[in-house]
Amino acid sequence: MRLSVAAAISHGRVYRRFGLSPRSRLDLLRNLVTALVRHERIETPWARADEMRGYAERLIDYAKRGDKDERAMRMADFWLTEKDLIHKLFKVLAPRFQPHAGSYTRLLQIPNRDGLDRAKMAVIELKGNPLPPLVRPRRDSDRTLLNQLLKGYRQDVQRARGT
Amino acid sequence: AVLVLVHSPLPRLRALLQRCWGRLERGLWPAVFGSQSPPWGPALAVQGPALVPQGISDAGAPSLLETVVWMAAPKQRRTIEVNRCRRRNPNKLIEIKRNIDVCPECGNLKQKHVLCGYCYAKVKEETRLIRMEIYKKEGGPFNAPTAETVVLYEGEKPTEKDEGKRIIERARKRPSWFVQN
Repeated sequence: MRLSVAAAISHGRVYRRFGLSPRSRLDLLRNLVTALVRHERIETPWARADEMRGYAERLIDYAKRGDKDERAMRMADFWLTEKDLIHKLFKVLAPRFQPHAGSYTRLLQIPNRDGLDRAKMAVIELKGNPLPPLVRPRRDSDRTLLNQLLKGYRQDVQRARGT
Repeated sequence: AVLVLVHSPLPRLRALLQRCWGRLERGLWPAVFGSQSPPWGPALAVQGPALVPQGISDAGAPSLLETVVWMAAPKQRRTIEVNRCRRRNPNKLIEIKRNIDVCPECGNLKQKHVLCGYCYAKVKEETRLIRMEIYKKEGGPFNAPTAETVVLYEGEKPTEKDEGKRIIERARKRPSWFVQN
């Protein structure tokens, strides 16, 4: 029975390593969360966006508790470095996401960065933001077999209801 | 066993033999014999020591075969056929991508799980212009509003859904891909 963990094995570790140290990793993610709350859509390396997503959604869950809650206020105070965003979080984002149960963010991959590193980039945005949409939902064409059959069925039902 | 025998019929030859033997002995046992050796004469043959001690540390110069570090080197030239087999093995070729599709909006190529580059660049440019308008309206840094925002284009009036929202105006016609809610 192995009682100690070998240095190079990382089975089951969920958190990625960023920056110079664990504190630096939290600072990096904190900057990203602040930027997301301010601009509502940011473009960053995919790994950072993925890591930050969990923290952002938990912050919104805390904000839903209301700004009278002491823990919620302390969390918002730590995670948002620009203090005018605390007002935005409690007054704009919490009411916007009150009807939603979870998944307040959308993470989409974009083509690799143009620089030398060709990094895998992603754009992460809060749902319901006022900016133009990134992906237009596409309906299936009317010419597909299934849609034609459904259209015929609908017409039959209408005719039956009419007569 | 070494037999020590000195015998000589003539005194001159005997002297010569003695001198030769003395030199030999001096060569073999330099520590034992000093500048002069005691006189030798006829003696009985006795069994001498089994091992004649040699110079222990006279390995001489180690030959080139021992000092050089041996490394692997190819013995034969690899033929072009063998080289081709190795270079063109499928695990060395670039993988072909089968996840490339055509974007239904603009017709450019895109990967299936990635956003279309052209459409994303279009949206990015429009958001940049909207953000410039927002910055002009806010006037300075750290002035995030406490109300929602809505973007209106030329000739558009705010609907009843946009009651308490901050209005950002863009001086152009509404693009077809940005549908008003």
